Amino acid sequence: MPGVYYTTTEFLDDAKSAAKDRGMPGIRTLALPADKYYVARANKEELQPVADAFFDKMVDALTRPLTAEEAKPSQAQQLHENANIKVTGKNFQDASEKVNELFLDNHWADGLPIIPPTPELVKAMEAGTTRSPKDVLGQVAPKSGTATIEKIAINSVMAGAKPEYFPVILAAMEGFLDKHYDLTHVMASTGSFTPVVLVDGPIAKELNFNSGIGMLGHGWRANSTVGRAIQLSLLNLGQTWPQVNFMGLTGRLEAYTFYTFAEDTAKSPWEPYNVSQGFQAGDNTVTVSSSGNPQVFGGGAVAPWTAQGVIDQIVTQIRNRGVAWPHAQKHILVLHPDCAVELANHGYTRRSLQEYLYEQTRVPYEKLAKQVSFGEGSEEEFIRASIADGRIRSDRAQIFLDNLKPGGRVPVVQSPDDFHIVVAGGSPGYDLLFTYPGTNWAHQTVKITGATLTKAGQ
Amino acid sequence: MRIMKRNRKWFLAAALLAGGLCTAAAASAQVTLEVMNPRGEIPPPKTLGISPRGGSLDGKKIVLIDNGKYGASNFLNVLADMLKQKYPTATIVMYPKPAAETITDLPKWYPTVKQQGDLFVFGVGD
Repeated sequence: MPGVYYTTTEFLDDAKSAAKDRGMPGIRTLALPADKYYVARANKEELQPVADAFFDKMVDALTRPLTAEEAKPSQAQQLHENANIKVTGKNFQDASEKVNELFLDNHWADGLPIIPPTPELVKAMEAGTTRSPKDVLGQVAPKSGTATIEKIAINSVMAGAKPEYFPVILAAMEGFLDKHYDLTHVMASTGSFTPVVLVDGPIAKELNFNSGIGMLGHGWRANSTVGRAIQLSLLNLGQTWPQVNFMGLTGRLEAYTFYTFAEDTAKSPWEPYNVSQGFQAGDNTVTVSSSGNPQVFGGGAVAPWTAQGVIDQIVTQIRNRGVAWPHAQKHILVLHPDCAVELANHGYTRRSLQEYLYEQTRVPYEKLAKQVSFGEGSEEEFIRASIADGRIRSDRAQIFLDNLKPGGRVPVVQSPDDFHIVVAGGSPGYDLLFTYPGTNWAHQTVKITGATLTKAGQ
Repeated sequence: MRIMKRNRKWFLAAALLAGGLCTAAAASAQVTLEVMNPRGEIPPPKTLGISPRGGSLDGKKIVLIDNGKYGASNFLNVLADMLKQKYPTATIVMYPKPAAETITDLPKWYPTVKQQGDLFVFGVGD
């Protein structure tokens, strides 16, 4: 079917890149001037000059006969990315600097200095797992680069990770590559979503992950380099770059290390988080998820707080945000230990707290938005469409249908399971809420296996 | 004087030797790092041509696809008005992309576009 695709100038490279990835590099793609379109799009009158300038180009693209290359394009050739590269410098520092410049020029690095991934260092990294270097974990979105153990090892060396961290990095990558995880959205969205990487089990202590004060900050090599190894692996295997095909408008707020931390199971009054996900106590796992910018609750060291007060603030925050896309929305609530213990002392279990949050965050039908914030259509239309196409599970659909009427209270998530409650942070501490309002599922917990250099995770 | 001349020759020879040694030392101090490529190999997709086209839009059924982003329908409605005015015999079909449609659902949805008309205009891509 003949057609024309249009985007804005800022997204033209992204559109052309995606067309090439999908095997149609010749698709006719036009661009509206971004500086004129976005400010005018609210009404037709302001859009008229933009349309006037666009119209003839559109007609031309729809009617101009094809060139020979458009009709029968040459086939894309396999680009081989396996040859080693030799870089010579006046001394080690000079050679190392040249490697850094080369990698950044090629869009293979993140802007911070990298450790040159020599074959010797990569082999040492691979020794951290029992898995074969040639094993394939999957294809990484958006360009479907092949994720072998060896390629992830190369990126892990660049990040400065220790070989004993490698099984944690591999388990995280398995989670991102799970068929149920919508990695494309996280890798390319304008929303600048940031992955969350949560380590659970005895391996967290053995590798010295920080789960206390400053858990999302600097100073702990495990937190910093495991997150960075995952970031570099996603960047290089998915082959993304800002302003080309990674279009996060602000960039991720934790762009270099993601939100990587461990649960403090010793101070938690409840069973480890991974047990709530179906694993055994003592299992070592990584949970990978996605989040918008986290929000902070509680008083920390400077203001009084109560655990119930914190929960009430969180409920209000979530409920005020509206329903939007309940089929995939989820929340990770990271409670600092004192808050979790106080909640437990008041009788809350993890499950009863999940159920409390599910019930209290329901939005009165009358308050559903008539127009969603991210596009066109009302929240009720989105929910009914999600029920019709099965994205809201059949066993939960009736709850939504029963409440899509005056007096109803509409859930913001599919079930209480979509509130993930984790204990980490200092004493005193704050409580964090990570929310992902994405269009598809993006949350997986994976068991860490195959470790050769640690007691845990073997 | 003879001694001085001899010393001068020796000094010259020593300077040349030292210079040579420095060059050799600089050459031998060069470091070559062999590094591995961090990129994943991409299996190339089969490349397809685009659909043939030609002639006028007169009498054609043109499908305007709104991708659901805020303001997309406003722009397409302006285009629809212009198309109707300039090509009165053309038929304009507004066919919004389903809300929250994602790449995993698109294979089911694309074939339905072809049933709507002869040509499509699809946007705005963010």
